[in-house]
Amino acid sequence: MQIKMREVAATATSPSMGEYMKSIGIIANPASGKDIRRLVAHATIIDNNEKVNIVKRIILSAQELGVKEIYIMPDTFNIGFKARDDLASARQLAVKVYILDMQITASLKDTIRATEILQQLDVGCIISLGGDGTNRAIAKALQQTPLLPISTGTNNVYPDVIEGTVAGIAAAVAASEIFDLKDICIKNKRIEILNEGGLLDIALVDAVICNETFVGARAVWSCETISDIIVTKSRPNAIGFSSVPGYIDVIEESDDFGGWVKLGHPGETVVAPIAPGVVRPVPVKSMFRLELDRPYRHCAKQNSMIALDGEREIPLKKSCTVDFVVTRNGPYQLNVEKTLRAALKTKFFRKVCI
Amino acid sequence: MNLSQELLASMYRKMMKIRKFEQRVSELFAQGMVPGFVHLYIGEEATAVGVCENLKDTDYITSTHRGHGHLIAKGGELKYMMAELFGRKTGYCKGKGGSMHIADAKIGILGANGIVGAGLPISVGSGLSARMRGTDQVTVCFFGDGASNQGTFHEAMNMASIWRLPVIFVCENNLYGISMRQDRHQAIADISDRAQAYGFPGITVDGNDVLAVYEVAHEAVKRAREGAGPTLIECKTYRWRGHFEGDPTTYRAKEELEEWMAKDPIPRFARYLEENGYASRKELEEIERSVESEVQQAIDFAEKSDLPDEADAVTDVYSDLVEEGRAR
Repeated sequence: MQIKMREVAATATSPSMGEYMKSIGIIANPASGKDIRRLVAHATIIDNNEKVNIVKRIILSAQELGVKEIYIMPDTFNIGFKARDDLASARQLAVKVYILDMQITASLKDTIRATEILQQLDVGCIISLGGDGTNRAIAKALQQTPLLPISTGTNNVYPDVIEGTVAGIAAAVAASEIFDLKDICIKNKRIEILNEGGLLDIALVDAVICNETFVGARAVWSCETISDIIVTKSRPNAIGFSSVPGYIDVIEESDDFGGWVKLGHPGETVVAPIAPGVVRPVPVKSMFRLELDRPYRHCAKQNSMIALDGEREIPLKKSCTVDFVVTRNGPYQLNVEKTLRAALKTKFFRKVCI
Repeated sequence: MNLSQELLASMYRKMMKIRKFEQRVSELFAQGMVPGFVHLYIGEEATAVGVCENLKDTDYITSTHRGHGHLIAKGGELKYMMAELFGRKTGYCKGKGGSMHIADAKIGILGANGIVGAGLPISVGSGLSARMRGTDQVTVCFFGDGASNQGTFHEAMNMASIWRLPVIFVCENNLYGISMRQDRHQAIADISDRAQAYGFPGITVDGNDVLAVYEVAHEAVKRAREGAGPTLIECKTYRWRGHFEGDPTTYRAKEELEEWMAKDPIPRFARYLEENGYASRKELEEIERSVESEVQQAIDFAEKSDLPDEADAVTDVYSDLVEEGRAR
């Protein structure tokens, strides 16, 4: 399929590095960091103008490192257009910035479609601006391209807080393809939710079963309605429902297992940060580890809902069964520090400076 | 959050009431039965109902020129509304206000308003009044994307914030201010972003999903009653009809309208009710029939009602309080 691009920007100077360099892609979700948790949980507010600023800093640093082309997902706020126009107006744009020519639906579908297109364009790295939900959408379509997630969402267990400038540098290093993905990335786990053998959906961090019956405002912020938490990883320094198992048993991304927590009584109570600013005692009946690639069945005792990475997604009818499988089929997540240290050892940055 | 079957049925009935009322008004206006201008709410039903189902009779709303939906959702009676639209003396304002000025203080409807953004300062006054009287009443202020550029919007948001007033600002972002697309009149996509500048929460929600609107409004109302101050809720929605009846809508593409009609909030909610066993198709059809009959009765009532007397043209211009003050 031929990918059409909207208008090429670019001005002036050519990049400083003449060596082989792939392009990079940027997916900035204009809806991240805006859900009901601002109302019920004092969650972080990152407005879209700040996302424009982050994208500008990514572009500026990536172009200094020799990236020649950057592709950006279009969105309702025009984050990509604004970043490009601002830099062009300031005469700071030296790289070609393309906005993907795709229809905007103002939904998760945009992120998925942009991921598909960026892979067809063979970008060397995708940088995302969003939370766990945004990256989950990317992971649904992503295969081998490394992903560098910058946190601009609510519950940010998957993405990290990274300065855009540094992210641009790391993405450029990844796009140079000097390093093997295994050396600079971790292959993520994911939870696959199966129904009669077919893949229903995935989660990168957690799947939560709650007795809500509608999707509504999507987010889940109260543990009163929750019966089960399934995680790929759990750490006490995480936020959201994956922190509950994190206060019982730490599961790292590198561990070849996941975890399942059953909530209720009798059992012990764990105090955990289930949402930003919401630290609650959570009654835990039991917790057990999930072997990689092995399905664990759940039969719904009542009409309920599965929330994936913090958002209600899959309605479950009473008596309906689904399987949860933790696999290693998630994205290649770029480890920024590892990447930069590896580049340092090969004198990557000195070459750029010559 | 689990909602009772009774509440869900009430939501569906009210959405259907708004739709049927507006459809009939459209027909009647075309037949010349309704004088003046009418601005219809078809397509936006989930927003008014999702918000107002969280309110008590003692709570207040301020409305807009596109106010029929708000009034029905707050409990306005169809026959008095229809009589008002017909300009009859049995109407809510004795037939002297028409579509854009319907009010019913008994159930907290502080009035529709023909001036864009005029409900905003009224809602702040209402919120301040509740605060000074020490009640737990909240005020919901409905307004549109166009109004969010008015000075009244910013002044109201500022004062409500400073005084932590129990006001919920509900912006119905239907993408057009009269004929002006949102992206041509403001440099932001989410109007909820503007709350941040005034120091209180702003949330964007799918205004065509009655359950999502209900859930967000529930938390905002709770917050207001508890004294935590105002909230801005932006409901993304779309009006199917023109800005006014008779508007040729040359400023928008047919495809855009079709896309939004496919997101019709009523069948979407009906599907949810059916799939989750809250109502059968037959029961939903029964609600529809009963609403149609209620709307017809409202039309009959309006048609049989008298026009105001000439002598009444100069009454109700000023409130009795003003007259009493003059007399003193």
